[in-house]
Order: sequence, then structure tokens, then C-alpha cells
Amino acid sequence: MAKPKIAFFDFAGCEGDQLQIANLEERLLDILGHVEVVSFREVVTGHSDDYDVAFVEGSITRPGDEERLKEIRKNAKILVALGACAAIGGINCLKNFQAENVYREEVYGAHARWYPTYAARPLKSVVKVDAEVPGCPIDGAEFARITKDLLLGRTPWVPDFPVCVECKQAGNVCRYEMGRMCLGIITRAGCGAACVSQGAHCWGCRGLVPGANLDAARIVMDRPGTSRKAVQDLLRFFLGDTGAAL
Amino acid sequence: MTTYTVYKEQLPELFGKWSEEYSLYVPAKLREGFYDLVAWKPGLEIAWDFDVAYNSPKRFLFPPREALITFDRRTCEAKPVFEAPPQILFGVHPYDVKAINQLDQLLEGGAPDQNYVRRREATVIMAYEPLTVSSTAFWASVGAGTVAHGFDLYWTKIGPAAFTVEVGSAKGEELLSLCGGLVPATAGDKEGARRARARVQFRARKNSLRYNWEETPRLLAKCWDSPLWRRYSQMCLACGSCNLVCPTCYCFDIRDEVDDQLGEGVRYREWDGCMLEGFAKVAGNHNFRPKAQDRYRHRYFRKGKYIYDKIGELGCVGCGRCVRACTAGIANPLKVFNELWEETAHEH
Ligand code: SF4
Ligand code: SF4
Ligand code: SF4
Ligand code: SF4
Repeated sequence: MAKPKIAFFDFAGCEGDQLQIANLEERLLDILGHVEVVSFREVVTGHSDDYDVAFVEGSITRPGDEERLKEIRKNAKILVALGACAAIGGINCLKNFQAENVYREEVYGAHARWYPTYAARPLKSVVKVDAEVPGCPIDGAEFARITKDLLLGRTPWVPDFPVCVECKQAGNVCRYEMGRMCLGIITRAGCGAACVSQGAHCWGCRGLVPGANLDAARIVMDRPGTSRKAVQDLLRFFLGDTGAAL
Repeated sequence: MTTYTVYKEQLPELFGKWSEEYSLYVPAKLREGFYDLVAWKPGLEIAWDFDVAYNSPKRFLFPPREALITFDRRTCEAKPVFEAPPQILFGVHPYDVKAINQLDQLLEGGAPDQNYVRRREATVIMAYEPLTVSSTAFWASVGAGTVAHGFDLYWTKIGPAAFTVEVGSAKGEELLSLCGGLVPATAGDKEGARRARARVQFRARKNSLRYNWEETPRLLAKCWDSPLWRRYSQMCLACGSCNLVCPTCYCFDIRDEVDDQLGEGVRYREWDGCMLEGFAKVAGNHNFRPKAQDRYRHRYFRKGKYIYDKIGELGCVGCGRCVRACTAGIANPLKVFNELWEETAHEH
């Protein structure tokens, strides 16, 4: 069997996800040994339009992005959204809660009218997405696992339960018991509750867990000592494109 | 069995000796109001008055993630993986000892869980009579306030600097005598231990079932269609916290991962829980318990009836951990069972 050809693309984002992959270093050589990389700006030079799997990073924020993404979709057999911006819109969607003239002027200053943009959105709002590697940034080990599953012809496994599961496995004291907020209750696991284990709380970067009980979550978050504003800000941070944001 | 009296000043030497051959875990304060069993090191302050260990002791016998076999895709060979580091759990409250006894019965019966059995054999349990009771605990009313077996030693603090230590196994006695000179407990010391126990048992009855715990399976049998299940489960986040913190929950999922050459791999298990939405999903994506209500009810039937039907004890030892862990405030066996009892009052 010929090695599958893979390519990496980016839209609005920081390329942090591709960097995470590049950071796999020696592991990368083994994993990429099973494929032929035809386009990967962080690692190799050159580009080709002949590929089987497209890994796409970043959100769609301009009408013109749609055309390019549809082209990629046409060329690729499998399209994988890489990271929060591509999979769920992520922090790019923060601007969706501001007036267009406000954010455009802030970013482009006096030349704002030369740059048409629109509400930021995930890839799946424009094309069909076959698989997602969630997270901001993605977890290199998870990228490796998903890629290996695809190579073996298995449906990649991504946790379908909330971050709390991994948080309890890690043995952390729950932020709510410390009088703080945390989005682990509605966020898809897979990061090992990284932020909670580091002393912070979950911001929801891996997107909503399937079946997230948002009504219950809002009641849980609405506690004495937390303002409505704080709850709203947290829910908009990564989840602006989902039903969680108010 | 024999009971000895041991003084606090003897502990550093004993602990030091034990930790030469065992990983030793002792209760310590994590932050105000939170305690856990942590690795002992000289000078560590022991939280003698801890109310409950934040994490249940099951993680020492059945870790959150554990390799089961390694395999080779090319040769189709598989090898079991067993890890069983010798360890001493010092300061296990009786309800947690009871939970471990239950795991022993459930995991060692039938087709014994080889990984669990090995870890269990390498583990010394030093039980410890609690001095305080967590505000969410109700162990005294579910028959888990005392244990008659399942420990190698049972420590009771009878004064600021003295303990009685009841021997539960030859292994325990051997470990206790490592520093020589064991003093049998006097009648007065034993009386002190009895009083210490009575004191805490009395305090623990503050949160109580309104009926004899042995009625629970019969009670539940009448309550399959109770409106309570829906009322509470509406708030359920399907986060599994109540399962994972529970000292008697032992469900796991099994997954494989191959190495980067796609040659060898490892099959491991990871904690799972019946409150997670995907728990009862099978091939073809059929879910046996698709609704929060089904899952919520299942957990209480499991705690109050199914386990009882198997081993004659409740599957809940009343540690109160799930009550604390549930951010939605709905995980609470005591409250659920008591409310069902009220609901069916006309029948008893
Ligand atoms: S700290 Fe957050 S992730 Fe951890 S159990 Fe609590 S809500 Fe869940
Ligand atoms: S804890 Fe939350 S915010 Fe942090 S990495 Fe995990 S999903 Fe993302
Ligand atoms: S059901 Fe709750 S109270 Fe009962 S043993 Fe489990 S965690 Fe403790
Ligand atoms: S801890 Fe509470 S919210 Fe989470 S699954 Fe259990 S009952 Fe539901």
C-alpha cells in the first residue's frame, strides 16, 4: 500500500497546534515515517495539492477563507480539524460578541475597510469535518494516537466524557469545593484535566462534551460569590460558537 | 487477637523502618478542610483528626489507569503486565476498610481480577479509628462504622500521645514488632479505646437513615417508578464524579494503544462510571441507559440493591465522598434513600 499523503493548512489561528506536532520531535519521525508529508510549513518546505488527509488549523473569519477551505475539502479524502480554533471556533469567536466596526478598527486601524471579515466560525460550519483533534493547543500525544488510529483503519477514540473524569483520576480537589468556577463539568476530556492539575481551572478549550447539560451547568456556576459577568466571560472564552455562551 | 499500646514517640522509628521496604502512605492535610493519604517522609505532620481522605483508598489497589497486557501486532503475542509494589496504607478509616473488603469479595470472586489480587496481596492495611466525622458522612447508619476483619493492624488514638493497636494479622504484628519491645495494652487502655470508638460512633449518627439499612433493597424494589429519579437527574451533568470518588465503585473501560512504529502496543484499563453517558453504549451505538434518569436510578439500585443481592451488604459505606464531589448537589444516597422511605411511608 502506498503511504497516505498528508498536508497541513492553517486559517485564523496561531499555528500553535502545528507547533505542538513539531514538538513531538523524535516521535514525529516515527509517526511521519508511515505517511508522506506533502505540505507542512512548520517542518518541511514545498507544497502539493495531491493529498489524502488534510489537517486544518484555525477558524474561518473571512468570506474569502471559505473558498480555500472548500478546495481543500475537495482534494482531501479525510479532513481533520486541528485544535480549538478549527474544531469549535475557539477564542476567535470572542469577537462575535463585539460590534464589527469595533473589532475591525482595533485590528486593522485606519485600513479597516480594506479587510472584509465576518463572524469567526469553526470549519464544520463551512465543510464536512471527518475527525477533530481538540484542545488549545492540541495535545501532541493525542494527535499521535488519533493519527495512529487512522493509519490502522480504526475509528479514532476521543473521550466522550467530561474533564471531571480525568480530574478525579488525577485526585485534584474540585474547584467548586474551593469556591471557584470550572468548566470541566461540560468540557470534553482528553487533556488529563491539565489546567486543574496545574492549579487553575478548566476554560473549556476542548469544546463541549456530547450531551453537555448546559442548563444544569449554569445553575451550578451561579453561586454566591460569582458574578453573572464572570460566568458569561468564562463561557464565551472558548465556547463562543456553541450553545453554552450567553 | 492481641492488642498493644504504642506511643507517638515510637512512630518515627517504626515509619522509617517500614518505608525501607514499603511505600508508606499516611493521612495529611492538603489545605484547610481537605485531607488525603500521602507518601510519608520524615517530619511530615500527620493529620490525626482527618475526617475523610479526599481520595478513596481504592486508587492504591485499582489505580485510575493500569496496563494489563502488552502485545505485538506482528507476532500476535501477548504478555500480562503485573505491577504490585509493596505498600502500607496507614490511617484507613473503618468504612474504607469495609469498602476494600467489598472490593476483595467482588474482584476476587468468580474469575479473580489478577491485577487487583496481586496489588491487594502486596498491601498492608492499617486501620485507624476516626476522631472526627465529615459533614456529609453517614457510615454509622449503613453498618460501616466498625469492621471485624480486613486490616493488619487497627490503631485507636486513646490520648494525646498514645494508641492501642489491635492485631489483625501475623504480618501486622511482625511489622509492629520491628522496633522491638511490644507492650500489651492494659485493661485501662482497652477501655480508653472502647470509649474513643463510642464517642465517634455517637457523633456519626447525626446523619442517619430513618430506617434500618437492611430494608434498603426492599425499599428500592418498590421505587422503580418513583418521580424522584427524574426530579434529581434533571440536574445531572453525567460527569461521573460520584462514581470515581466512591470507594466501592470498580468499573473500568479497556483500550489499546500501539507504539509509534505501529508494532507493539499496550492494553490498559481506566476508571469508568455508570453515570457517564457512554457507559452503557454497545456496538452499533445502542445505549442501554440513554437518559440521565436511567443512569441516576441505576446507581442507587446498584448501591442499595444489586450489590446487596450479591453479598448481603449495601454497596454504599456512607463515606459521603459523592455528596461532596457532586457539583450539581444531587448525589446523595442518604437523602435519596430517606426520601424514598418517606414517599412509601403509607406502605410501612
Ligand atoms: S475541578 Fe473542574 S474538572 Fe475537576 S472535578 Fe471540579 S468541575 Fe470537574
Ligand atoms: S482543563 Fe480545560 S482548558 Fe485546560 S486543557 Fe483541559 S479542556 Fe482545555
Ligand atoms: S455511594 Fe457515595 S457515600 Fe456511598 S460509599 Fe460511594 S461515595 Fe461514599
Ligand atoms: S457527580 Fe452529580 S452531576 Fe456528576 S454524574 Fe454524579 S450525580 Fe451526576
